[in-house]
Amino acid sequence: MTEIIASVASIEQAEALMAVGVDTIYAGEDYFGLRLPHSFDRTELADLIKVVHQAGKKIQVAVNAIFHNDRIVHVADYLNYLAAQNVDRVTIGDPGAIRILQKEALSLPYWYDGADLVTNSRQVNFWAAHGAQGAVIANEVPYKELQALVPNLEVPIQILTYGAANIHQSGRPLLTNYFNYVQTYQDRMDREKGLFISEPRKPETHYSIYEDINGTHVFATNDVNLMPRIQAVYDLPITHWFLDGLYADKIGFVKVAKAFVQARDLLAQGQLTSMIVADLDQIVRANQPQNREVDTGFFDIDPADVK
Amino acid sequence: MKQLQKPEVLAPAGTMEKLKIAIDYGADAVYIGGDAYGLRSRAGNFSFEEMQAGADYAHAHHAKVYVAANIVAHEGDLAGAGDYFRQVRDHGIDAVIVSDPSLVETAITQAPGLAVHLSTQASATNWETLNFWQDEGLERIVLAREVGVAEIKEIRKHTDIEIEAFIHGAMCIGYSGRCVLSNHMGLRDANRGGCAQNCRWKYDLFEMPTLGDHESLLGQNSQGKTEDFSMSAVDMSMIEHIPDLVEAGVNSLKIEGRMKTVHYVSTVANVYHKAVADYCADPEHYTLDPKLVDELWKVAQREMSTGFYYGTPDENDELFGQRRKRPRYKFVGQVLAYDSATHTVTVQQRNNFGIGDKIEFYGPEFTHHEQTVADLYDEDGVAIERAPHAMQVVTFTCDTPVAKGDFIRAQEVKRPVSAR
Repeated sequence: MTEIIASVASIEQAEALMAVGVDTIYAGEDYFGLRLPHSFDRTELADLIKVVHQAGKKIQVAVNAIFHNDRIVHVADYLNYLAAQNVDRVTIGDPGAIRILQKEALSLPYWYDGADLVTNSRQVNFWAAHGAQGAVIANEVPYKELQALVPNLEVPIQILTYGAANIHQSGRPLLTNYFNYVQTYQDRMDREKGLFISEPRKPETHYSIYEDINGTHVFATNDVNLMPRIQAVYDLPITHWFLDGLYADKIGFVKVAKAFVQARDLLAQGQLTSMIVADLDQIVRANQPQNREVDTGFFDIDPADVK
Repeated sequence: MKQLQKPEVLAPAGTMEKLKIAIDYGADAVYIGGDAYGLRSRAGNFSFEEMQAGADYAHAHHAKVYVAANIVAHEGDLAGAGDYFRQVRDHGIDAVIVSDPSLVETAITQAPGLAVHLSTQASATNWETLNFWQDEGLERIVLAREVGVAEIKEIRKHTDIEIEAFIHGAMCIGYSGRCVLSNHMGLRDANRGGCAQNCRWKYDLFEMPTLGDHESLLGQNSQGKTEDFSMSAVDMSMIEHIPDLVEAGVNSLKIEGRMKTVHYVSTVANVYHKAVADYCADPEHYTLDPKLVDELWKVAQREMSTGFYYGTPDENDELFGQRRKRPRYKFVGQVLAYDSATHTVTVQQRNNFGIGDKIEFYGPEFTHHEQTVADLYDEDGVAIERAPHAMQVVTFTCDTPVAKGDFIRAQEVKRPVSAR
């Protein structure tokens, strides 16, 4: 059974997402997790977890930050808190946090999430041998590589089927530094500010960029939308589809999620046709924010074209 | 007197020539690339036979050789990795530097006896992470460049695994490994040796309420010109802070730059070897010789800073605006012989130089001599004005004894184009 995982910006949005069939809600606090639509403090997170579990759904919490000493010392306490809240799984990218999870011997399943670093089956299986129950595959792994990779996996993988694809994380406040240099005041440099950069001589490109407590983040020029290739994703098979609403319209994102749920259900029934895919793809595109485009990212890139 | 653990100076060696020079100039260890799994596809990578020759040279000089195999592998890249690591081990290499856990596991399980170091590409930033990898059997961790001196001291309290830290050279602007700008902007895999250094490009920065509706936020620099947005770091130099790194318990001080020149490798290895040796010999009375700093500026490609070692870098740690003008030096030759009876030096030319040029000789152990070229003769003893030909052998008078192998540099001077 394919599981659809969606990030959330609020409890209300989580309720709406679950109502349209999303199986797992992805959330967290930015002190421990990366690039989240909302930073849920412990009180908010407890409320969210309660709502999710009451709906009979699962909660996946991000513990995937790159931890320096000042934060790693708080990871044990946070993991204990999440275990006590019966969180269904966490995503972790820092091996230090995995070590802590295992030292604490908590009943808290983890999936490995090393962002762009997770690119081969042997690496996924390495983490599986270290207790991971799954892994988040990098966005830079094309379909042709996935065809070879998936049969070798010992645990399932999660793939970004919709949303903004992160392509850079700096520990430096790159926007603050720039605006300080040109001595221009900006009220904010966060995601809500909606800043983009474009490549030299390519004004049509628009890479989102923002700062938060984890540094500066840059995203691919277009959001990922694998709806046109959802049959291929299903057939691989990749069983965990991640929908990231980081830059999505809050209401539009629910419609996007509903489209992927429909695709998933029709695939399970063997009833997904190319015409239906086209209609669902249209729903995804229609609900994109007016300043964002979609494409299939690296999925259809020929690996031979990557130098 | 205070007893200190003297850290090794680890230098880059893109070629066999650079390997030997780095060791001659004081490096305690060098790192090289092999034919596979390395991140510097354009560096002069070593065959197994060359690895053996390099290791033999290093070991004869009490130095070590490490092989970088720090790609993040994709499916299909890993075939033969076990055999590769066994070959590396059997050709005298002291350790491999890896980042992909699949390669870590392969090296440890399939090439027993080969030491494994975790690359900075894996972004190790806390002691729990270091201990995780130590439990896996690794001997050393190359810290992320984002780790500060105070953090290293704290890490050292909680782990006894060897710590390696970058002290000099170019820096990624992002967490190493967590950047695929190059993949997305040019289909060049940053984590498999294809990085196009897109971070150093000049970007527009804008708000865009609707597609195509750019509202640029670019500002102006102090010259009143539009300053493009960039993500370009100045280079690192920790020459003024060697005591801090030694006291923090760093075991290996790493110099970046497998693509850099012989001039760079010899100068930087020489300088850091001298600073570390001087400090560890007498820490209580150590002061930094300003000449060492001057030496580093002679091979500097960019301005320099201490990166994250003393806090989060600000705008002064990035390359904005006009570059500061500084004297540029070129490598002009290498000493083949010195005749103390006639005070004549025989030199193999590496860059055009001639009579009237102010040149500097420098050698291992920081020997240094400056003079102006007063006479010049070709191999037949014919007087000439300049030595314009690559690898040309020339002689000239040098009153101070210099040693075979010493290098010669000269300040780059823009000469007026002569009328024809």
